[in-house]
Amino acid sequence: MAIEYKKGNSFLHNLDARTKLMIFVGGTVIAMIIIDPILMGILFLTLYFLGRNAIDKDLLNNNLKVLVVIFLTFSLFQVLWFTPKDSYFLFYLIPWKNWIPVTVQGLIRGVAVFFRFFSVVLAVHLMLYTTPPVELALTITERDKKRTLQTSLAVILLLGVVFFITALPYATDTGAFLGIQQTGLKLAALGAACLAFAWIVFKVLGRGLPAEMGVALMLGFATVGIMAKQTEQITNAQKARGYDVQPKNLIARVKVLTALLIPIFLATMQRSQDISIAILSRGFDYNISERTYRREFTFHRQDYLVLAVLLFVIVGGLLLDRMGISNPTETIIMGWIQ
Amino acid sequence: MEYDIKFDQVSFRYADSDAAVLQDINLEINSGQIVLITGPAGSGKTTLCSCINGLIPHYHEGNLEGKVTIGKYDTKNIRVGGLASIVGMVFQDPESQLVTNSVADEVAFGPENFGVPREKINKRVAKALKATRMTGYEEREPHTLSGGEQQSCVIAATYSMHPEIYVLDEPLANLDPQGRAKVLELVKDIAQEFGKTMIIVEHALEEILPYVDRVVVMDKGRIVRDGTVEEVLRAGDIKNVFKRPDITRLAQAIGLPGFPLQPEKLVEELQEKYKLGKVKEVFDHPRGNGLGAPVIELDNVSHSYEAGVNALYDVNLTIHQGEFIALMGRNGAGKTTLVSHIIGLLKPSQGKVLVVGQDTINTPTHILARHVGFCFQNPNHQIVSFTIQDEMKFGLKAHGIDESEYPERIDKALRIVNMEEYANAEVFDLGKGQKQRIAFASVLTLEPEMLVIDEPTTGQDPEMAKEIFEIIKKLNQNGTTVLLITHNVDYAAMYAKRAIVLNHGRVKFDGPIDDLLKDEPLMQENSLELPHITRLAKQLSPYGVPADTVFFEDMEKYLQQMVEVRHGN
Repeated sequence: MAIEYKKGNSFLHNLDARTKLMIFVGGTVIAMIIIDPILMGILFLTLYFLGRNAIDKDLLNNNLKVLVVIFLTFSLFQVLWFTPKDSYFLFYLIPWKNWIPVTVQGLIRGVAVFFRFFSVVLAVHLMLYTTPPVELALTITERDKKRTLQTSLAVILLLGVVFFITALPYATDTGAFLGIQQTGLKLAALGAACLAFAWIVFKVLGRGLPAEMGVALMLGFATVGIMAKQTEQITNAQKARGYDVQPKNLIARVKVLTALLIPIFLATMQRSQDISIAILSRGFDYNISERTYRREFTFHRQDYLVLAVLLFVIVGGLLLDRMGISNPTETIIMGWIQ
Repeated sequence: MEYDIKFDQVSFRYADSDAAVLQDINLEINSGQIVLITGPAGSGKTTLCSCINGLIPHYHEGNLEGKVTIGKYDTKNIRVGGLASIVGMVFQDPESQLVTNSVADEVAFGPENFGVPREKINKRVAKALKATRMTGYEEREPHTLSGGEQQSCVIAATYSMHPEIYVLDEPLANLDPQGRAKVLELVKDIAQEFGKTMIIVEHALEEILPYVDRVVVMDKGRIVRDGTVEEVLRAGDIKNVFKRPDITRLAQAIGLPGFPLQPEKLVEELQEKYKLGKVKEVFDHPRGNGLGAPVIELDNVSHSYEAGVNALYDVNLTIHQGEFIALMGRNGAGKTTLVSHIIGLLKPSQGKVLVVGQDTINTPTHILARHVGFCFQNPNHQIVSFTIQDEMKFGLKAHGIDESEYPERIDKALRIVNMEEYANAEVFDLGKGQKQRIAFASVLTLEPEMLVIDEPTTGQDPEMAKEIFEIIKKLNQNGTTVLLITHNVDYAAMYAKRAIVLNHGRVKFDGPIDDLLKDEPLMQENSLELPHITRLAKQLSPYGVPADTVFFEDMEKYLQQMVEVRHGN
């Protein structure tokens, strides 16, 4: 089933499009940082709860159901092949050959991976279902050059903190960092390097796509529905001419595809030409660098709240990792077993 | 600032063609004028419009001679985007011009391109939607709107750009009568309230002439007539190029001095000039063949696309061999849903559809297609080959027809649609009207017992439309059953015998089309416009004119009888 925007008035719907994009990006980062199955499960359930309140429950469930088998397979691979040196052995999957050991760590990793994939997929679903495509396109388009100094500094600082925590082992390890031996100096150098890197990332990503590409993306999103409708009409036209569009024979199916592709291709070409003429006639090449936008993107209290939670979880996850307790569930279970 | 339009010795030929599409055009249109440009398909009207907004020479490649100026600007030296702030363009097919996901975005698109600040954009959007009576549609998806609403949306999108000149290329072509009336009102409002220049390309003279100051007639790339409405009408018809509205021609035929466009005006002038007598001889036109065996049977058919919302309600219909039926109703009434059941593209949610005795539930569409030929509105959806020969063979191959029969069947089909000289042509060389006829011919190669035809005259000039109806009539006379979806009551009334009117998925009328013409409230309720001749006949019925008269020739004779009686007295 196609994932397309559904109108609504839920918490997610009322978030700024940029926040929803950050939920997806942040959710993916969190899924990569955190390997604890319970924490991953909480992340998944939080996203699922938000999704249930935003869109039709059955629609969401049907979309996720399709993926259960695929993600269970991924998890099984983790269960079977994730066997660290000191892992706690349970049994062999093929006992008479002593093949494929299953360990506690493998099982825990399997569960975490299952939730990890689902969380990422769910974050994408929620973004696409609750954000008009045009807003998504404009989110990543260069729109407003006026960004206050305070905002820029705050974003660079936050990014710097995340990079700093990620790179912390380089400064705390015994070896030299950038030729510096002293820990205090090493930390200062790392901090400066992270801030510089954060500034570069901010400048590159903060710029966004040029307006031409942004508008092209927006037009592309708007065209998907029309092209799908047109493809259906073309398929129907061929059926009505007596063409069996779903023959059992594989070679015949390929031939059918060719017959459908020509009118679909021609219709697509015609549509591109129509769009070119329509946008030119409406002043697209007037002065693209000075283009303005009707849609306004404003962060509200709930956006700041969501972004703060995301940042907190990312930083918290990184810190737990640095403190050697990245997987408390595993630690507790192993404590019980031993 | 005044933005007069001036064509100075302008000729143009497209890059891939030797023929000149415009030849020696000299034309001046002053600010504030409302000008109609008319003429047969291929006469260069759209090309002329493209010169005004700069698509020629900046988008369409070719050789442009002479000079086109808008105010002080030479269109050769200014980009399309720059001209767009002066010239707003509305094309024939509204759907092809809608480029965004919401009505508000669509209307804002132009001002955004011009770099208008956000607050002003919002004001312009609100004003444009109010002017086009589209307030409340802001968040609707443009592609879910009706044809009339889509065209209004495009006009709103042009209006918000604040152009000085509006160029409307066949703005009524794809609309039902309700949509047409809406667009015409908009045009009138914008022209009268804001004094903008309007250039309208249109075939529907009856509807558009009351609104314009000047008429330009084009043929083969040249301007063949140019003047005020009265001057152009006074000069008479030009064979195969310009045919005045029926009411005007009737007025002239009985020696009235004026140029009425509406039946009411003709009656008024008639009564002023003559003392009218009663009609003595009434003409009758037997319609179609007698009833044969049932071809299609719909038994309590209902259909819903989504739970709880029915697109068809409990439809019971029987279509017999040899009938000629017009299926009518406003946009969204369920016409396409109904015919999709006949070819098996849709299956009934309830009830049963039998095609030549075969239940569509168990019979795939490609089998039903042996009996029912379906001609779609857009020929581009149907045509799958690059040459006419391949296109004509496509259906024959799909149905496993013996190859030895191909030449005869193809020749016969091409002859029926008067396209035999194109037998070896390429599809890309054809215009829209010709493509429509080729798509039609490819269906005819299969010699179906029944033809379902969806709006065959959309975007065709009156001559081409009449020719298509004559072809359909010939097929029907040879025994083919015809079910035709159309908004064009004039043609339906002249050619069909039976009418079916759908309204919100229910059959509101099923019977002789003559009876439908007499039921004015039902026609109005279903956005069906009475033909002008029939409207006139109704007003003259006290004089013995049959109220269901649809033919021009009949009406002309009735009027002459009424006037002759006066002379006799």
